Amino acid sequence: MKLQWRLAALKNGFQDATAYRVEFLFEILGSALVPAAIQWVLWYALFQLGGATQVAGMSYMDLIHYTFVSLLFSQVRGGDHDFELAEMIRSGQLSNYLLRPVGVVEFVYIRGVASRLFIAGLCLTLGVILAQFLGFSGPRMIGAMFLALLGNIIHYQVGAALATTAFLWEEAYSLLMVKNMVVNLLSGELIPLNLFPPSLQWIWKSTPFYLFVFGPTQYALGHWSHTEFFTQVGIALVWIGLGRALIRGTWGLGMKRYLSLGG
Amino acid sequence: MNIEVKNIRRSFRSTKKEEGWRGTFGLLLRPKYQEHEALKDVSFSIEPGSFNGLIGANGAGKTTLLKILSGLIPPSSGSARVLGYDPFQRSLDFRRKIALVMGQKAQLWWDLPARDAFDLLRAIYEIPNKVYQERLHTLTELLDVQRLLGTQIRRLSLGERMKMELIGAIIHWPSVIFLDEPTIGLDVLAAHKLREFLKVFNHREKATIILTSHNMDDIERLCSRVLILRSGALIYDGHPQGLIQEGERILRVRFINSPSIEDLQKATGLPAQLIQLGDSEAEDSDGTRPILFSIKQDQIVSVLQSVINRFPILDMGIEEQSLEKVIQRIYSEEKAGPA
Repeated sequence: MKLQWRLAALKNGFQDATAYRVEFLFEILGSALVPAAIQWVLWYALFQLGGATQVAGMSYMDLIHYTFVSLLFSQVRGGDHDFELAEMIRSGQLSNYLLRPVGVVEFVYIRGVASRLFIAGLCLTLGVILAQFLGFSGPRMIGAMFLALLGNIIHYQVGAALATTAFLWEEAYSLLMVKNMVVNLLSGELIPLNLFPPSLQWIWKSTPFYLFVFGPTQYALGHWSHTEFFTQVGIALVWIGLGRALIRGTWGLGMKRYLSLGG
Repeated sequence: MNIEVKNIRRSFRSTKKEEGWRGTFGLLLRPKYQEHEALKDVSFSIEPGSFNGLIGANGAGKTTLLKILSGLIPPSSGSARVLGYDPFQRSLDFRRKIALVMGQKAQLWWDLPARDAFDLLRAIYEIPNKVYQERLHTLTELLDVQRLLGTQIRRLSLGERMKMELIGAIIHWPSVIFLDEPTIGLDVLAAHKLREFLKVFNHREKATIILTSHNMDDIERLCSRVLILRSGALIYDGHPQGLIQEGERILRVRFINSPSIEDLQKATGLPAQLIQLGDSEAEDSDGTRPILFSIKQDQIVSVLQSVINRFPILDMGIEEQSLEKVIQRIYSEEKAGPA
């Protein structure tokens, strides 16, 4: 495994993401504040206006804690490098990368994940500080961030596999938009997944998306045991293996149809 | 041989849409397909270290051929070998030894300075730092862009950007370089600088280069060999000057009363394809254009005598045949219909 180009790609990706510092900061703040505000309004309506004392076994403070901590992990799961890959295939820009002696899917991921790693570092620091105030465990926060980073890999793999539909179909962009909406719902980014009706819990349990935000938050807040956490890390690694195989398959099929359009 | 191409064919299938709503629904429900043959049985081989021009009108198949040779797409049939590799296998070794520059496709990152992009390429190609610094110095000096290395790509002019693209494409010192219209959109000075650079690089590094361009200056000044594609078929493979028949001249005559081509044909006994109406740029204020006779030097006197005897002339001149004119004629024949 050649480390040199991977490190250089990370550096390059970070330089690219932060070329416009204000835009970069606004993107982080915007994507954090909007879901937080939605959740706060929802909990306020339920508990203060609706008079509820508990929802799915969680108090008002439990849900506020969930909101704060889940924000840290939802910042890590994102990234639009799967969109970038789809656009490269559609426009023919992929040709520029195919002739370089590196794997295109991995190269795009590493460049795209650079800014997320930086954000993960910031969120981890914030999380450890937050843990002191809210009485959580710092080491749990580190483990949870590790799981969130595995979730980031899975998220890209799902996106990259969908992006390869651009080899056949010009509308891969809309497919990725739908994927993002499903992820928003099933990752626990908008609401804790244990608020799902019991008969529908199987839906989020059968996708890897809960590993992106809900899982790390559960572990950080102490709702998962260490055993449960390591089991989930194992599940995440299995999903990564499956994702890798899926991309290999779809990429191989797609390349046979690639026309390198434009020029 | 560095490049061997044997009986390559490549066809593309695309949907065909008819006009209006009927066409829109037809495309949705029962799409009709059409097959387009972009390359037809093309064969040639190329010597190491040579500088070759690949020309043809738009849609003649030049870029498709470069895409096949660089391994981006496979041929429908036939075979290609570049440096002994099957290009479409895109082995790591093969990718380390070639470069493709497309004048219309940016390879560098828009928001980053060129130096950052080159640093990444250094890591990708595992170029030792000392060698990299030397190459970067040589390339930026030859192309006169040293002072721009720290400027964001998007803030550079088209010519400066193209020079940076070229540096990015060849910083790994490839053995084979495919250049697809590298001087497109450049002003005369920038195009000249780029040409000079390519000439020096080819001479110094003995890299095999295939260049496509619509600028005949590029071809004439750089290429020792030219391949012409017409509607996907290779119709000429040889020295650029071979296109201009030895001793061929253009006799330009401006008549007082413009005679028809048929009348001139009868008067001179020349076939119609050797008598052409001049460019509109050479048109008189009264709308008359000169007539151009493509003839051998020893025919000049007899042709001139035969036209002077029949038609009063205003002025005349003798010009050397140019590559540009010959290519123009080949392109216009393509528009009229494939050979």
